[in-house]
Amino acid sequence: MIFSTNPWVWIAAILTLGIFSFLYKENPFYRFAEHLFVGISAGYGVAIYWNNAIVPNLYVPVFQQHNYWFIIPGLIGLMFFFRFSSKAGWLILIPLAVLLGTGSGMGLAPTFQTDILKQMQSAIGDATNLQLGGWGLVWGLVTFVGVLTTLSYFFFSREQKGALKISANIGIWFIMIGFGASFGNTVMGRIALLIGRVQFLLTDWIHVIK
Amino acid sequence: MKILENLTKINRRYIFLLVALAVIIPLIVPMKLPTIPGKYTVKLYGFIDKIPPQSQPILIAADYSPSMMPELQPMLEAVIRHCFAKGIRVVIMTLDPNGAALSEEALKKIAPEYGAVNGRDYAFLGFKPGSSIVMMSIGENFRQAFPTDFYGTPLDSLPMMNGIRNYADVPLVLSIAGSAITQGWIAYAHTRYHANVGAGCTAVSTADYYPFLQAGQLVGLLNGMKGASEYEYLNKKNGYSSAAPVATKGMNAVSIVHLLLMLFIILGNIGYLVTRHNQSKK
Repeated sequence: MIFSTNPWVWIAAILTLGIFSFLYKENPFYRFAEHLFVGISAGYGVAIYWNNAIVPNLYVPVFQQHNYWFIIPGLIGLMFFFRFSSKAGWLILIPLAVLLGTGSGMGLAPTFQTDILKQMQSAIGDATNLQLGGWGLVWGLVTFVGVLTTLSYFFFSREQKGALKISANIGIWFIMIGFGASFGNTVMGRIALLIGRVQFLLTDWIHVIK
Repeated sequence: MKILENLTKINRRYIFLLVALAVIIPLIVPMKLPTIPGKYTVKLYGFIDKIPPQSQPILIAADYSPSMMPELQPMLEAVIRHCFAKGIRVVIMTLDPNGAALSEEALKKIAPEYGAVNGRDYAFLGFKPGSSIVMMSIGENFRQAFPTDFYGTPLDSLPMMNGIRNYADVPLVLSIAGSAITQGWIAYAHTRYHANVGAGCTAVSTADYYPFLQAGQLVGLLNGMKGASEYEYLNKKNGYSSAAPVATKGMNAVSIVHLLLMLFIILGNIGYLVTRHNQSKK
């Protein structure tokens, strides 16, 4: 076991162990690492956004290219700070309206097409496409039944009894299988994060593995 | 029966300790568990592999931060290695403020291995805020969103960007992300501008992207560390990379921890059922 001589690796290793110490119990070492992370993240974020958003999109166009139209969106953006005023706090609604309006306008059509139309087309298409043949057609039908029964579970305009209840109950099974798949993947993801830090400690810090 | 009842009362620190051992031991002691590439990894790999060398570049959006690094960084590195080995040009950008440092680190590490040169074989555009607006700007012209690359060089001065205007000039947009931003790439780059989109995501969000694969909105998908290890395997198999397979080593540990967790789940449920049975008898 040969320890790294790089002070940055040591700092990263000590902070990693500080965060892991929470697994035993809450302690000042963990608190310090957590607060340091929050502070550094916020500071880094401000610096990055200043250099990549404010300077190229406001400072350069207005002060170097003398394109004064850019002052208007700049002022609308600054209106977010009215949140700190108790009297003029309502003015924050203006930038929010601009943000929501443009966001919805830009996103509505492609999102509707991507998330609903294409998905419906795929669900119906796979269930009726005889060219898929064999298992392809079977899975197409399973997907189709899954979509219909899951939707029926979320149909609250009528009391769930009779055929609707049967369909909703089948829908619950599909939902549970979906949750199971998500949970399994989540476990894999979280373990991967742990492995990443352990790999760092064993490789960069104490050089146990290459 | 008392032992079975006690299963539900084990101190969680013992479980943490066992998980730690299940991670550390496979990393130290070499294991050779087989890697079998999944269908969607093979699809993405095959799609990239068919791109002619020295032609139009692929666009990689490395939209992730250090908290997702263990899963996504090996993925990015494996794809870059594949491209450089095949002579496929890459344009890398990020919509995550932390992504610029990570993707630049990957480029600086891998470019010398293959003799790749900035501006000729790859272009690094850096970070740009405003996700969906940036995606739409690229649909019009790369230069609208990124007048210069990360180092301040105008895009028109980069030889590989000659004639590269928008999505129509890139054969693939690969979104490597740990958030829902990939859905934005599908909605804007694919649906609106008809670009081919591939994805590499964290395992947590993989289930969200299967419907897009099924509908043909994604050309392929890399699923977390597993997807990265599969890509590393395919690179190695085809002689494109001799680098240490970071994700593959990690996957050995993942497999062992999964077995351990399955055991815990089974034991925990047995303990719960026995406790419930005993309580109902009382």
